[in-house]
Amino acid sequence: MVRFLARRCLQAVPLLIIVSALVFLLIHAAPGGPLAIYLSNPNVRPEDIERLRRALGLDRPLWQQYWSWLWAFARGDWGYSFSDGRPVTARILERVPATLELVGAALAWAIALTMPAGVLAAMGRGRWFDRLTTAVSMVGISLPGFWFGLLLQMIFAVGLGWLPSSGRATPGGGDVVDHLQHLVLPTAVLALVLASGWSRYLRGSMLETLSLPFIVSAHARGLPARRVVLHHALRNALGPLIAIVTVDAALLVSGAVVTESVFAWPGLGSLFTEALARRDYTVLMALLMLSASAVVAFNVVADFAHAVIDPRVAVS
Amino acid sequence: MTRIRPGWVVAAVIFAVAASSACSRRSGGGRPSNDLLIVGYDREPDTLNRFSTHILEDIQTCVVEGLTTTDEQMRVVPLLATTVPTIQNGGVRVRADGGMDVVWTLRPGVTWHDGTPFTSADVQFTVDAINGPNYNPESTDGFDRITSVDTPDPLTAVVHYKEIYAPYDIQFIRGALPKHILQGRDIDRAQDYNRNPLGTGPYHVLEWKAGEYILLERVAHYWRGDEYPKIRRLLFKFVANTNTRINQLKSGEVHVVALAPWDKYREMTAIPSIVVTKTRGNAYEHVTLNERQFPPFADVRVRRALISALDRELFTRTILDGLAPVADGPIQPVSWAFNDRITRYPFDPAKARALLDEAGWKAGADGIRVRDGKPLAFTLITQAGYAIRESMAQAIERQLRDIGVDVKVELHDGTAISAIWFEGRFDAMLHWWQMPSDPELTTFFASDRTPPAGRNINYFRDEELTRLLYASDRTVDRTERKALLERAQAIIADAVPEIPLYSVTRLDAVPTTLVNFKGNPTNTGIFWNVHEWEIK
Repeated sequence: MVRFLARRCLQAVPLLIIVSALVFLLIHAAPGGPLAIYLSNPNVRPEDIERLRRALGLDRPLWQQYWSWLWAFARGDWGYSFSDGRPVTARILERVPATLELVGAALAWAIALTMPAGVLAAMGRGRWFDRLTTAVSMVGISLPGFWFGLLLQMIFAVGLGWLPSSGRATPGGGDVVDHLQHLVLPTAVLALVLASGWSRYLRGSMLETLSLPFIVSAHARGLPARRVVLHHALRNALGPLIAIVTVDAALLVSGAVVTESVFAWPGLGSLFTEALARRDYTVLMALLMLSASAVVAFNVVADFAHAVIDPRVAVS
Repeated sequence: MTRIRPGWVVAAVIFAVAASSACSRRSGGGRPSNDLLIVGYDREPDTLNRFSTHILEDIQTCVVEGLTTTDEQMRVVPLLATTVPTIQNGGVRVRADGGMDVVWTLRPGVTWHDGTPFTSADVQFTVDAINGPNYNPESTDGFDRITSVDTPDPLTAVVHYKEIYAPYDIQFIRGALPKHILQGRDIDRAQDYNRNPLGTGPYHVLEWKAGEYILLERVAHYWRGDEYPKIRRLLFKFVANTNTRINQLKSGEVHVVALAPWDKYREMTAIPSIVVTKTRGNAYEHVTLNERQFPPFADVRVRRALISALDRELFTRTILDGLAPVADGPIQPVSWAFNDRITRYPFDPAKARALLDEAGWKAGADGIRVRDGKPLAFTLITQAGYAIRESMAQAIERQLRDIGVDVKVELHDGTAISAIWFEGRFDAMLHWWQMPSDPELTTFFASDRTPPAGRNINYFRDEELTRLLYASDRTVDRTERKALLERAQAIIADAVPEIPLYSVTRLDAVPTTLVNFKGNPTNTGIFWNVHEWEIK
């Protein structure tokens, strides 16, 4: 197992370097750089633009900029934000708790919804519960997240006044209840969208498993239906779902961009939106590398989880 | 199934919270009061150092004060200075060598928030820091022309310019850097100051929570007197999404939305606790015609035809909901230099067609005009995500089609569009300039100020205009300068280097209970007189 982990880590290094080079090229190819924002101020003179360009090191050839970034990044020096001059690590670390809180709650809720919805829908194929979950998940899959978020705000914050429309806590003094109230709407949006997709996968995977001979034989041997479904079928059907859940989770951990932006949630997603608008290259690179690393790491986790659940799969 | 149990627990807790809160309506942020006023702000500042930021300075103006500021009429008024120096009051002296000296007399008794007196040494230090090699402010405009600052006494700063600099009166509108805090330091990295600047203003920064808010609290002994400011705390909440910001206004979670979008005007006026104030702005929306990229624009007949083909009155009545008046030039009525006696171009499609015929552009088979085998067709770029701009671009496309001009609209994100215009890679662009309170036009219209040397992105060349503009920059006497700028406006109106559309009106949503709100047409922002704001 240690050898497996070591090998996966070694494999990840060249992959991440290639990703970093591609991402670096892409964000520099996007029109408008970190200095574009200064141009609309008529008081910023051409000499100022040149001075700032030199100060940020943007006057050097692209390969040199990349190389110095990569070398520093590898040694743990993520540089300074082009936008506010603070260390990139500080800007990212202060946003991590908010994203983990939102994504953790959303994943937990999404899994809690997916499991019963997927299993029960598959067991009662074509019956009312199956049709209901199909309809709900189609709505969940089709709804644009930002629109759904605004709709919930209109209903629960503006209309009924039950919940805060956005933010992570009431500024200045938020107790635990206040904190949780702020969490409800953004979590609901993320969880519903995630569970809509996941429950479809689980339902399909369960249907396939339930028709296999070993399930039939388990029923024939007189095992209780509950035990057959939960211990025999579900365990086998979880494989594909785990792969999807981990990839979704990896992408979310590096920021739920749309949801965070609609709900003014101070996590990595809104940091990404801001950094993208200001072309804050150093922050963008760090966030995108985090995202890529999360995908790699979560894939390893998925392999492990799969092996734990399904004894036929081994991590060698 | 133990694996999913934590999920159920979390879900149950969240449902319980939702259910518990369902029992009562939340108080939101509470009503606006003299204890707390909450501002919904569209972005987080990069830094609170007024000389470094490239974002509007609303929060900064509450903390750091300038020697002067601009009021609701865009007049330059003294703040930390006792008067605005002029030639008439002896504060400005033109030297025989072509340079000038400006004498600033500072208000006595003003201290920084830490109790240290605010003196002319701070003014001198500010100039030295901005002109020095170790600091990267946003702009060095004007400072680059200062040779030195003398400090004959703690309340007098004599600023020596190597040449005449007409906007000297707003040179220190961003205030001064505290010498006793920043001397000898790397200001770009002085995060203690940049995140929590020492000022002389009515408020100081109590807390900056990244990604969430900045909370300001009144200072104990403000120099205007202990009765100011009236409101104890100001909270700036960062809510980037416009719809969310308006929802927060409706639910009472924020009380003020500055620079509210026009397409939300009706929605906001329906909120009973809110009044939407309108301030005549100092920005003008226009279509830039890039003569270098699209040579037919170099013909004045074509430019006059284009402006005559647009029913700008109709645009302002319909698309703009009557919120903004038609503009006829780059200097707006709010400015002291505004010239009302210029050529205007009412909607006249017949005249437009005649002008194009005269210029040799004849209608082709598909109705699009052609000359020398080339169609009169160009691309109009504008910023994506602005409903008003997108509608305006479509209206322009439609009306120009009526006179046989083919326009293709292209949308770009805000950052991308800056790079595109700076490189001159566009035919026409729909955008606005937020003009400085000083009516300098040189950077926009002088022949030699095309990018990268300036912002003449019409690539328009007129030698007389260029001469007038430079002469106006080197004239301190306001009457003489006004005469030069009036002549320049007349030339611009005749030549139509760009198509002015409308004068931007600023909308700010504030509580009905707020008194002494005055608004501001410039980038100084609405908080310039925040010390006298009060909830009644």
